[in-house]
Amino acid sequence: MDKIKFYEQLSEILDVEQVKPEDVLKDFEAWDSLAILSVLAMADLKYGVSIKAEEIRSVVTAADLASMVEAKQK
Amino acid sequence: MVAVVPKEEYRFDDEYPIFKLTEDKAKRFKKMMSLDRHRIAPPGVCASDLCQHGLQQLLNEGMLKKEEIGALVFVSQTPDYTMPPTSNVIQGKLGLGREMICLDINQGCSGFLLGLIQAFLLLDIAALPKVVLLNGDTCSKQTDRCNRISYPLTGDAGSVTIIERCEAENPIYVDVKNDGSRYRAIMIPAGRYRMPSTPETLKLREVEEGVVQSLEHVHMDGAAIFNFTMEDVPPQIDEILAFSGDTRDSIEQFLFHQPNPFILKQMADKMKIPSAKLPNNIVSLYGNCSSVTIPLNIALNCGEQLLREKRRVCLSGYGVGLSWISMVMDLGPLAANKIVDYEST
Repeated sequence: MDKIKFYEQLSEILDVEQVKPEDVLKDFEAWDSLAILSVLAMADLKYGVSIKAEEIRSVVTAADLASMVEAKQK
Repeated sequence: MVAVVPKEEYRFDDEYPIFKLTEDKAKRFKKMMSLDRHRIAPPGVCASDLCQHGLQQLLNEGMLKKEEIGALVFVSQTPDYTMPPTSNVIQGKLGLGREMICLDINQGCSGFLLGLIQAFLLLDIAALPKVVLLNGDTCSKQTDRCNRISYPLTGDAGSVTIIERCEAENPIYVDVKNDGSRYRAIMIPAGRYRMPSTPETLKLREVEEGVVQSLEHVHMDGAAIFNFTMEDVPPQIDEILAFSGDTRDSIEQFLFHQPNPFILKQMADKMKIPSAKLPNNIVSLYGNCSSVTIPLNIALNCGEQLLREKRRVCLSGYGVGLSWISMVMDLGPLAANKIVDYEST
C-alpha cells in the first residue's frame, strides 16, 4: 500500500492541505460521521477492505488508520 | 401508479443556516450528498393524507372503481395512530365498501417491495379483483429540524400502486432477505412500549457537532449501514439476476431505493452498473422518503416511457430491519405513472 497516496486521499476527505501520520483524527474539524463514511467508502473501493463501525471508532491517529487498512489487505 | 409529494419545497441553500453550518462545511456536505431540495409535509399532514389524495385522484379519473378494491395495504412507519390501523382510517374516509381487507405493514426502505409481495399473495390466494398498495412516510417528523445530517436528506411522500392479475404469462422473480440481529442499526428507540414516551425520551441531545436528536428520533449507525449496503445488497443483485436469467445488459433499468446519493453511487460502482441505468436523483429533488423512493423513482425516471411500453427492470429496497428485497420483472405498460403535488387546505 502506498501510504503517501493514502494520506493524500485522507487529506481530501478532511479538506486540509496535508495529513501527517501522527495527526489525531478527532482533532480535524471535518472529522465527523460523514468523514467516517467517506473513509469507509475509500477503504472499500480503493483498497478492497471493509472496516467495521466499532473498528473505526477505536482508531486514534492517521497512522493507525493506514495500518489497519494495510493489515486488512493481507 | 401515482406518487404524491407535499407542495412545500425547501432548498438546502436556504436552509443550511438553521443547521449552524459554516459555509465551507455546508458546501462540502452539499457536494458529497448532491443536496438540492426536498419536500416536507406541513404540521398536521400525515402519510395517510398523501396516500388518500393519490387514491382519490385515481378514483376521480376513473382508473379504478371503489367496488373493485379487494384490499387496501398501507405500508408505513409513520401511521396516524398506534390503533386503529391507518388502512381502516383511509377506507372509512374514502367510503369504500365493507367487503375488503385492510392491512397495515410496518416497514421502511424495503416496504414497496414487501407491499408488492403482499399484494401478489392476496391476488393469488384470496382471488381479489384489485389490490391497492399505499406507501407513505413523513420521515421529516422522525428527525429534528436542526439535525444537520439527517434533516437535509429527508423527504415526505406517498404513493398508490394498483395491482391486478394479467392474462399473459409474466413471471416476477423475488429474493427476500432479513437480518433482525442488526435491528439496532436503524431505529427509533423510544416512544412505543419497550421505552414509553417520557419528558426524558423527548430531550434533545447533541450526539456530535450539529447532530441533535432525542430518543424518539431516528438513530442510524452510519458505518454499519454503509457496510450493509456494500456487503449484503450487491450479492443479492447477483443472485436475482442469476435466478431470472438476466445480466447487467438485459436489465434496462435498475430502480433502487435511494437512501442518499453518496451511498447509492458507491453501490452502483461496486456492482459495476453504469449510472445511466441506475437513476440517483430522488434524494436531491425530493429527499429520502423511505419506501416511497422506488415508486417516485419509477414515476420520475420512467414516467412517460412506461405508459407506452414495458421495460425489463430490477428493483431493490434495503434498510431498516435490516431487510433487503430485490425483484426482476417486466414492468409496464402502466395505465398511470406520474407525480402529483399535495396541497393542504
